[in-house]
Amino acid sequence: MTIAIIFIFLGILALVLTIYLAKGHLSKGGDLEKLAIRLRPVDVGAFCNLISASEQQYLCEHLPSREFRSIHRERMGAAIEYVRCAAHNASILMRLGDAASQHSDPSVRQAGEKLLENGLRLRLYAIQVIPRLYLSMAFPKARPTSEILADSYDNMSRQVVTLSCLHFPTHGMSSAL
Amino acid sequence: MLLASYYLWIAPHILLAFFLICLLGRRSQRQLPIFLGYVVFELVQFIVLFTIFLQSPFPTAIYKWTLVVGDGINCILELGVIYELANKLLLSRSALASTLRPALQGILALLLLGAAIGSGAFSGISVQRVNNIFEIVNFSSNLIEGGMVLALFMFAHALRVSWHSWVAGVALGFGVSASIDLVSAALRAQWGQRAFSAVDLTQMAAFHVCVVIWLVSLFLADRTPPFPDGKLKISDLELWDQELQRMVQR
Repeated sequence: MTIAIIFIFLGILALVLTIYLAKGHLSKGGDLEKLAIRLRPVDVGAFCNLISASEQQYLCEHLPSREFRSIHRERMGAAIEYVRCAAHNASILMRLGDAASQHSDPSVRQAGEKLLENGLRLRLYAIQVIPRLYLSMAFPKARPTSEILADSYDNMSRQVVTLSCLHFPTHGMSSAL
Repeated sequence: MLLASYYLWIAPHILLAFFLICLLGRRSQRQLPIFLGYVVFELVQFIVLFTIFLQSPFPTAIYKWTLVVGDGINCILELGVIYELANKLLLSRSALASTLRPALQGILALLLLGAAIGSGAFSGISVQRVNNIFEIVNFSSNLIEGGMVLALFMFAHALRVSWHSWVAGVALGFGVSASIDLVSAALRAQWGQRAFSAVDLTQMAAFHVCVVIWLVSLFLADRTPPFPDGKLKISDLELWDQELQRMVQR
């Protein structure tokens, strides 16, 4: 009886979730020209500073323990916000990359595929980095994260610039980044 | 009731044959060759079962064993289609393959464990051995299929991977059908013989919905809004191609 009820519940849950998640893939793609407006500014330098191990070490040595913990929590909270913005921008740029990867011109297509690949990599890093930043919030002595995400974002921004230089209409995205 | 069951048995297969013709006409089958095999097998199985059904007197044992063997082959083909979808949608991208492959393998292992537990619990559903085998194969394949499709959609949602509409439609069709079948298989295990015909109708209706989703998604054109072609000069292209190579090599 109990096992049957569990599987009935799991089946209904799977059905609802599948339809909800699939909705995004089957619905209309939206206006790509308006994507640039949705980009959020990300200061890669400031983000690197927030997750810098030497900066963390310096604050730990020069601040009282209680104050350090409070400031560290704020810094990690800001870093999480940066990562979220970068991941959000990556999803927008991936759509640009997806469109560019279907272009008739091989150069544009290649740049688009690279952009798509880097965007995916960045979103994957973001999924891994956010829990680590929360962990660092809870345990301030732990090393927060590597700079891979900052490098990846920087690399992706450069590819958008490349696309715009290839006369592919990026609608002001390179300047918004 | 009888009319409804005939309709739900025959109509989805007519629609499936139409879907196959459209698929071949658009040459889209190259994207998912195992899925093409699944569709062809499903149609062949229907023709064989329907031919047996028309025999007089009705050969019950032959019909049931054909159904069980066909269901087993279908289950293998469906798993193949899930692998094909995972490969096409996520694992073909080098950035994701190394991370997502172990995650999907872990989910598959968990689903197999769940299927084993469920099969053990539902093993005494009928006094007839053939019915029990059918139920276990049916339940296990639906649990694995529904779970894997849901996992694929969750990963795609988290990573914002865009799927081309008809491939997403194939995954959605399988997901909807497997989820409804899973619920009905559990209900059949709970209520036993009394629920057999109602559950059969539900599963046939689920397959009908699944085929309609496939058809609709095939007719939805690739709707990525096209960008207008820019006027490119060859010298510009060469220059920026070099620049791109330099950046990528960083």
